[in-house]
Amino acid sequence: MTGDAVPPAVTTRELDARVAIDVKALQAAGRLDEARERFGELVGRHQRRAARIAVHYVRDAADADEAVQDAFIKAYMHLGSFREELPFEVWFTRILINGCLDRLKSKKRRERWIAPPPTDANGVERDPAENLPSGGPSPEDRVLADERKRQLSAALATLPERQRLVFMLSHFDGQTSREVSAVTGLNESTVRVHLFRAIRRLRAILGTSAASTGSVRGRTSRAAR
Amino acid sequence: MRLADALFRGGHLSEQALVEVCMTGDRPAHVDRCDICADRAVELGRWLDDVRATEIASADAAFPPERLAAQHSQILRRLEQLDQPSRVIAFPRHYRLDERQHTGRRIAPAWVGVGVAAGLVVGVIGGQISARFGRVSPAAIDAAVTAPSPTAAESAKDIAAISKHDAEESDGVRVFALDPGVVLASYREPQTAGGR
Repeated sequence: MTGDAVPPAVTTRELDARVAIDVKALQAAGRLDEARERFGELVGRHQRRAARIAVHYVRDAADADEAVQDAFIKAYMHLGSFREELPFEVWFTRILINGCLDRLKSKKRRERWIAPPPTDANGVERDPAENLPSGGPSPEDRVLADERKRQLSAALATLPERQRLVFMLSHFDGQTSREVSAVTGLNESTVRVHLFRAIRRLRAILGTSAASTGSVRGRTSRAAR
Repeated sequence: MRLADALFRGGHLSEQALVEVCMTGDRPAHVDRCDICADRAVELGRWLDDVRATEIASADAAFPPERLAAQHSQILRRLEQLDQPSRVIAFPRHYRLDERQHTGRRIAPAWVGVGVAAGLVVGVIGGQISARFGRVSPAAIDAAVTAPSPTAAESAKDIAAISKHDAEESDGVRVFALDPGVVLASYREPQTAGGR
């Protein structure tokens, strides 16, 4: 055995598991300041991903913000129940999605009693912040991008809940069927079926607009070939 | 190649197979041989990339780095509050002591109850006694009502005398007494010469 052996590269999952175990030990020892500091590393690593999932799920930035915060607080409080054999990412995503689901349910209950927000002639909700000047893309580009986002958002909203969840986790979050299965508790083959159905449905709804952009790009790439 | 693909799709891959190609990255040999399926796979992959980019852009626009930083610090602040034991505001004990000094000796609440019960019993018994011994008999009340008062008798006698005198003076005049105790007046037929 030689002394200059290179230590194996630590994957993000292993790193997460180590930090989670450390935080758990620090909590048990009553060194709470250190525990919080270590947990802050986990928050920093998973925050953006969590925010994306929450925005996709609850379709509202403020709600997503609260859902992410609550999920991290809950994870810190229940870190004792975290099992090392399961990736922290999967465990945390499950907490986050359950929180988002609860939020959606309570939002639906609330909306029964609240008047709908002001909308324009096309039935699109008007955001007062849109009127503020900005140094971003041109108004035309912004309108087109907004229109595409709106269409996609509307199409995603038509998906059944499980299909939407599976599509979101596997496509936007880049998780494998096995990981999605671990998060959702569904069978792997069921995950694949849900994913396929979601894509087929979305293509049926968005087919024309996506095909138009796709065809332009396709032509360009084929010409390049 | 799957049997279903060979039979129903002219040997081309199904949509589901194409989705798996795009999502898992496993590239079946057929895609390398068939230009149509290769184009379909490319087109599907491009569409998925487009959808993904749009969604991620909209999510990232909702959460710029400043907002994420604010969220991070907010999470840590909430965790800090969670770890701190909840503070209990101390009750102002010295005020209570002063109050006790002023009020003097304290009476046990049980004795207050006993006093109230005793008062009730005494009140009931006293009421019974006063009702029994202070009552007037009905016979006495009747006698007092029926017996004419001396004043009324005298006045009746006077009135009768006056009536008699008046009747002598004027025939056929009816005399009414104002006193309710006295009924009066006799009506006398005027004395005629015929003696009727």
